[in-house]
Amino acid sequence: MAHGEDVKYVEITYRGIFQKRLAKYIAEGLVYMAREMGRSAVSFGRYGDSPERNGVPAKYYVALGSLNEEELIGYSTRVEPETVDVIVVLDDTLLKGVESWAWQGVQPINLKLKEGGAMIVTSTRNLEELVKVTPAKEFRWDMGRINVEKSFSGLWAFKDDMTMERVWGAIAKMRPDIVDLEHVRTYVKEHKKDRVNERLSAVEEAYETLVVKSMAPKEGAEFKYSPPRLLTWQEMMEGAAVPAVPRGGRNEQFKRGTTKTERPTVDFDTCIKCKLCWVYCPDECFDETKDGYYDIAYDYCVGCGICADVCPVKNCIVMVNEGRFKDYRRPYEMWKEDKVAYKSWLKQVREGGVKERVVVPGLGR
Amino acid sequence: MYKSIIKTMKDVPLEEFYTSGHRTCQGCESAMVMRYLAKVAGPRTIVVGATGCMYVANTTYYTTSWVVPWVHTQLGGSGAAALGTSAALRALMRKGKIKEEPINVIVFCGDLGCADMGLSGVSNAMTYDYNLLIVLYDNESSANTDIQETSMTPYGAQTSFSRPGTARRIMKRRWKKSVVPMIIAGHRNIRYAATTTPAYPLDTMNKIKKALEIGGPTFIHSLDPCPKGWDYDPMYSHELGTLSVETGLWPLYEFVDGKLIYNEPTKGIVEGRVKRKPVREYLEKQGRFSHFTEEDYEYFQKMVDEMYTSWEIPGVMPIKSVIK
Ligand code: SF4
Ligand code: SF4
Ligand code: SF4
Repeated sequence: MAHGEDVKYVEITYRGIFQKRLAKYIAEGLVYMAREMGRSAVSFGRYGDSPERNGVPAKYYVALGSLNEEELIGYSTRVEPETVDVIVVLDDTLLKGVESWAWQGVQPINLKLKEGGAMIVTSTRNLEELVKVTPAKEFRWDMGRINVEKSFSGLWAFKDDMTMERVWGAIAKMRPDIVDLEHVRTYVKEHKKDRVNERLSAVEEAYETLVVKSMAPKEGAEFKYSPPRLLTWQEMMEGAAVPAVPRGGRNEQFKRGTTKTERPTVDFDTCIKCKLCWVYCPDECFDETKDGYYDIAYDYCVGCGICADVCPVKNCIVMVNEGRFKDYRRPYEMWKEDKVAYKSWLKQVREGGVKERVVVPGLGR
Repeated sequence: MYKSIIKTMKDVPLEEFYTSGHRTCQGCESAMVMRYLAKVAGPRTIVVGATGCMYVANTTYYTTSWVVPWVHTQLGGSGAAALGTSAALRALMRKGKIKEEPINVIVFCGDLGCADMGLSGVSNAMTYDYNLLIVLYDNESSANTDIQETSMTPYGAQTSFSRPGTARRIMKRRWKKSVVPMIIAGHRNIRYAATTTPAYPLDTMNKIKKALEIGGPTFIHSLDPCPKGWDYDPMYSHELGTLSVETGLWPLYEFVDGKLIYNEPTKGIVEGRVKRKPVREYLEKQGRFSHFTEEDYEYFQKMVDEMYTSWEIPGVMPIKSVIK
């Protein structure tokens, strides 16, 4: 039998830096559990995702199989596996697509999923809503949802809110061939000394209450993706020079709008045209319109929230959960088209989509 | 003297020469300095960048967000690259190979690539009479490669090299080095050097403009809040920038032809019109200081107080001999 057929992969997609440790700890646990189950296992980050940046999507992998660990490492020394058995999505706004490095373009979240594979999403939204934005596949597969808020913290801090335990429980439910409930329990008991009962009940709870939907072929959202063709060295400019962006343009090959979990919404009716949002945006997203307003190129916006922070007019710029938007349509053009409709649209997206941004100082590890 | 000072937001040029589509963190202030710098310098500019965040983030697999030419140089090579580029331009013009016109040469290097290991090259570049501007973008660590300590890391801050231990809470025990005073004290030929932070965009842009207009070797040190290395919500970048100045920790000033001018709130602070905010307000908003106890805050405050109470040039340096 060819070696490759023995190897199974778990992919963990997360928001760079904020969820770095969470993803790493989930992977680490899976490796230990798989070893206890008599298989060899290794974990590794996707090469191109390093160095990580705040909010930029990144991936972590676990490879497990019946070959020896050295061979497994050999299998894993690539940018990313061709197909994966399980995908864990640690923030539901990643369902809209991920773009970590330019040359991949905006990839569908489940690009690498195998036929019959499982995807587990952490989200407080219901499964029907998630299905609407999840890219369709040609075949049948399963989607599960764990009902938790995304756990964001800082680089040094690891937000120990049992998301890790819930993810393990969910994998055990959907794919006992990767890790089974017994081994998750044993691992938690042996490796986590504090709050162990709480952890065990988080595992059980995820296992019991996981909502799973079997996705039929072609069920879900349409997602057009064609991987960008990489230039060969003969095609590159002399000295591997990179062509500059033409004046007045933007970097078309790397839009990175998928970095955001929230997007700024603008109430043009109250804008005083002070220009502060434009000057303070670190991603050059604002375009001055002829009548002096500031329109946003959402496909380049990374959702940092600085514009909302510096805008002097209360509620003129408000950050809204990215999950509430279907496309990257620019706000100014919508407002110009129909101001009354825009206002009610604004009211509707802001309702329930706005969250207090907490100051997130780390806890010192 | 400076014909084209940017007085209000309305005067800020709209066109971008460093544009969207880079791979910096959410809320990266260094990206903003780059943007201001390119904006003010305009199309006839060559930017040289030493390895660091701003190199890795702006050359993403055969794509770039630069409109003007940008050249990468290795980590410690910023000074030499600046000098070489500037000398080459002069030679080409002298030989009539290119049109005689002002072309800005700007080097953008991080704290490791400029103030730490790159400092010798920078110092060398400062001793020649070529036109070049070196901008030190200081995020107080080697944040690109996951936050290692540099000589610019403030007292007590957590980095991957200075995590608080059980025996010792404070692992970074040295005080941050002051670079601009070192440059002006050590290089008597330079006519312009300044500190800045992008939280004050007009101040930053005007300083870049002045440096380029005065010519010769010039130097700007910018303190750039970095959500990744400092550990805070990216939304608060701007607020941390202003706090660094308002607490007196990061004084804004410029050295022009032997004169020292304080800017923005620092002016009021030094003249005694503005009260410094407690430095704690700045520190407690960042995860990298989250292990601080009362004692650490007090020590930090005492060190900042000294800058204004016992230094001969308040906020700048304890010796006076270089200022006319
Ligand atoms: S949130 Fe605002 S400041 Fe941040 S990238 Fe988007 S438009 Fe720019
Ligand atoms: S900061 Fe607010 S008020 Fe000022 S131009 Fe932008 S949207 Fe309008
Ligand atoms: S690590 Fe800091 S300096 Fe580097 S890209 Fe991120 S915010 Fe900017």
